[in-house]
Amino acid sequence: MRQGYVIIGFWIVLLVAAGIIIKASLTEEQALNHSEIIAMPNTNALPVEEGVFKLSNNAEEFLDLANRGVSSNKNLDVYYNRRAYPGAPPVIPHPTEEAHSMGGKDCLQCHQNGGYVDEYKAYAPITPHTDYINCKQCHVPVKSTGAFKPNSWKKMDAPEVKQQALLGSPPIIPHSLEMRNNCLACHGGPSAPKEIRVSHPNRVNCRQCHALNVNTKNTTKIWTR
Amino acid sequence: MMNRRNFLKKAAAASAMAAAVTMIPGILFASDQEDSTLSGDINWTKGPCRFCGVGCGILVGTQNGKAVAVKGDPNSSVNKGLLCVKGYHQIMCTSSADRLTKPLVKKNGKYVETSMEEALDLVASKMKETIETHGKDSVAMYTSGQSTIPEGYVASKFMKGAIGTNNLDCNARLCMASAVTGFLTTFGADEPMGCYEDIEHANVFVLWGNNMAEMHPVLFSRMLDNRLTRKNVKIIDLATRTTRTSKAADKSILFKPQGDLAIANAICYELINNGWVNNSFVEKHVVFNKGKTNIGYGLEDKFKFKDEATPINFNQYKTFLEDYRPDKVETITGVSAKDIKYLASLYGDPNLKVVSFWCMGLNQHTRGTWMNNLVYNIHLLTGKISQPGNGPFSLTGQPSACGTAREVGTFTHKLPKGVVMNKKHRELAAKIWKVPYERIPAKPTYHATEMFRAVDRGDIKFIWTQVTNPLVSLPKTSRYRPAMEKDSCFVVVSDVFPTPTSDVADVILPAAWHVEKSGMYGNSERRTQYWDKMVEAPGEAMPDAWMTIEIAKRMGYGDLFPYSKENHHEEIYNEYRQFHAGKKHNMAPVEVLKKQSGVIWPYIEETGKSTQWRFNSKYDPACDSTKDFDFYGKPNGKAVIWQRPYEPAPEVPDNEYPFWLNTGRVIEHWHTGSMTRRIPVLHQAVPNAYVEFHPDDAKQMGIRNKQKVKVISRRGTTVLPASINERGMPTKGQVFVPFFDESMLINDVTLDAFCPISKEPDYKKCAVRIEKV
Repeated sequence: MRQGYVIIGFWIVLLVAAGIIIKASLTEEQALNHSEIIAMPNTNALPVEEGVFKLSNNAEEFLDLANRGVSSNKNLDVYYNRRAYPGAPPVIPHPTEEAHSMGGKDCLQCHQNGGYVDEYKAYAPITPHTDYINCKQCHVPVKSTGAFKPNSWKKMDAPEVKQQALLGSPPIIPHSLEMRNNCLACHGGPSAPKEIRVSHPNRVNCRQCHALNVNTKNTTKIWTR
Repeated sequence: MMNRRNFLKKAAAASAMAAAVTMIPGILFASDQEDSTLSGDINWTKGPCRFCGVGCGILVGTQNGKAVAVKGDPNSSVNKGLLCVKGYHQIMCTSSADRLTKPLVKKNGKYVETSMEEALDLVASKMKETIETHGKDSVAMYTSGQSTIPEGYVASKFMKGAIGTNNLDCNARLCMASAVTGFLTTFGADEPMGCYEDIEHANVFVLWGNNMAEMHPVLFSRMLDNRLTRKNVKIIDLATRTTRTSKAADKSILFKPQGDLAIANAICYELINNGWVNNSFVEKHVVFNKGKTNIGYGLEDKFKFKDEATPINFNQYKTFLEDYRPDKVETITGVSAKDIKYLASLYGDPNLKVVSFWCMGLNQHTRGTWMNNLVYNIHLLTGKISQPGNGPFSLTGQPSACGTAREVGTFTHKLPKGVVMNKKHRELAAKIWKVPYERIPAKPTYHATEMFRAVDRGDIKFIWTQVTNPLVSLPKTSRYRPAMEKDSCFVVVSDVFPTPTSDVADVILPAAWHVEKSGMYGNSERRTQYWDKMVEAPGEAMPDAWMTIEIAKRMGYGDLFPYSKENHHEEIYNEYRQFHAGKKHNMAPVEVLKKQSGVIWPYIEETGKSTQWRFNSKYDPACDSTKDFDFYGKPNGKAVIWQRPYEPAPEVPDNEYPFWLNTGRVIEHWHTGSMTRRIPVLHQAVPNAYVEFHPDDAKQMGIRNKQKVKVISRRGTTVLPASINERGMPTKGQVFVPFFDESMLINDVTLDAFCPISKEPDYKKCAVRIEKV
């Protein structure tokens, strides 16, 4: 019965969305004079958050953390301190076995599904890209705090949710989704920084309501043949 | 500018579209993607990564004239949006405090800042004066597989076309020369026949001495991804050291250094013995040759060697292989006959598609050309070549070792098309360069190692290095550092940062980094990639190509370099393209390169497409269409199976020096570390070099992890902390040292023996002893 409603609901949403799109593209055509709908070659130019659906079994557990006796004060400062710039792969903040192992046998033991790790007194964040198993290809440990030479690198500002389209409408995603196709990895559960922890992780299909602000411009136009 | 009403409308449309995208994947709205609908202030510009030969597409984010972020280009078929830790953090090196921004000229033993004008005047007059006093062959240029295509092209035109000397070589001699001679001897045409898409089709990957998880990480992830999604995919790691790659592989086979020669021959023995030879392919497309044996190691100055091909027949080849029956060679290879038979059964199974990958393990080898030949033998005997998922794939180390060093030809014997020894090739070069053809000498002069020996002997009196750091990367730097310090040679170094090489320079010229200039790179799969300058270079830093042009002008060759400062990269490329006109090596026009994330040559003008698999008439219009395969690099259209025996390494462990020394890289650092060590994330991950031991060896010597030890060879000594059971584990009796660390120079210890055919040094094998400090 419940499934039936979901299916009907889906079609209604689809219909409404289609209506809005057609209207939007028609008006846009007049305003901007270009609105081709282009089927992209399968290069996956816009990542889908398939990872969310894979890991959505966590979502229920992420609800109502306080009443479950889960307390985590991880904040955004910690989150960004581990990244050379917003969007960069974070470093590994804890000691690791340098043993030459990989993925499933190693990092993913904790980072596939998360959970409390007594050794570090912290909740292990879940990887937002479950399919990649050569973790140390992008994530490296911190073996030294020194510098080879001083460096005046300045991090760009972290993206902010600056505006909503309408009063009360869902905030727009202010960052790119590349390598981050599981929103819950950073926005759900105790390992998420508290400032960006979402109140409704069980909704899972995040981009049903939260649109992507690409917030960027390719000076080279995307090639479409 | 967007007014408020428009903005609201667009925002609403954007959210509806995003909702639609979630539900109907694959549909995108071009305007939504391209336009910065909301407060957009980061510009993303495409380009190739600065580091390895994989050639990932990157998008560099710039904000207020500064590069602030990097992400993988999802439109690039190479990496599909993924990068490695070096790739993500590459731009951070540019803000290093010790960035070279002004020329430095050594006056009375001290470096003095000068204007660019003054420094260029000095370099030009010094070069001119040296030529006048000592002749054209007393000046040399040493460039790089990291030079852009235009940089390599003007260097070649300047040295060979303007001055008239073949004293031009590059650091690709140290990494890819054996691959080149392997291709030329077997196929008569350089560079791989296949492309990365082979990864999506192959069932078996055999990695020959190639730690891909660290050295070609994005391709390795692509392989792992395939193993995850397709059921019948296997990775076999064949190496002398247990690495991340071995751990991720389905099977790890460890062999003794130099044993690879016998392994490859033993596989061929098995193929023939079991009747796994693809007879019709061999009959139609292959001939058999043997070359000289006992060919030496190039250890002495002015070493000369020329191979000679003698045709043989299949039966003679078969008889030769009798010595390589797997159980007969177990003592040489250290590999059980069972494992060799297993490998042979994978290559021999007609239902399996097999790709062999290799890089420095086979190339940096005193029999590097032979090793490349031997892997081709396996693929030619089985006919597993030039088809999707079937092929030998020689991977490249540097981002443009293919595009610049090999295709433009910044080697002493090369021209942009062909070689200096060939009169027709010289005539073509002279015609395009508009110089008298007599000016281009017909005899090659110095390959990399010999070039620095000539500096030591005092034969070269002026040397200019660009985009490379030889005093960390050459073998046996214990000889070549004092050589470069001699007063007999005037040393000019163009670089982005100070290095041990610039420390011995008489003039240091500040160079623009990667995204501070425009250019093109060519990667391992014959893909040419273009990028636009994204940010300004600091101070007086200048693109290397423009430095060469400025010097050429000052020496009176201005008319040969009529390029504009703003657009020289494009003008040079257009001139260069003429060399490769024709079906076999056509390069895509610059307009096409600007639009796409790279194009694989030969570019087919009629269809505007890349040629993904060469020598196969189904995919390659340059083939004779009446044949299924056409190895058109050879006049008879046939590839060559070479009879190449096992020969020992020049220096093997003995009582005095009981360990093999193997050197290489780690994922975090690029070559000599001049860029990556200045990137905080990477430096903090691997702050210094180390020497890896097998735990049994360490235990026997009583060496603990992190304990400092001396690594000593007949050439030199360096002190490093021990590493036991960390990143990698060498086989017993072997130690491994990464070479990125300029304060622990392992190349003071290595041997400058090289492959007599390719002249590429072997950094993987020499004898050392260990002492506790």
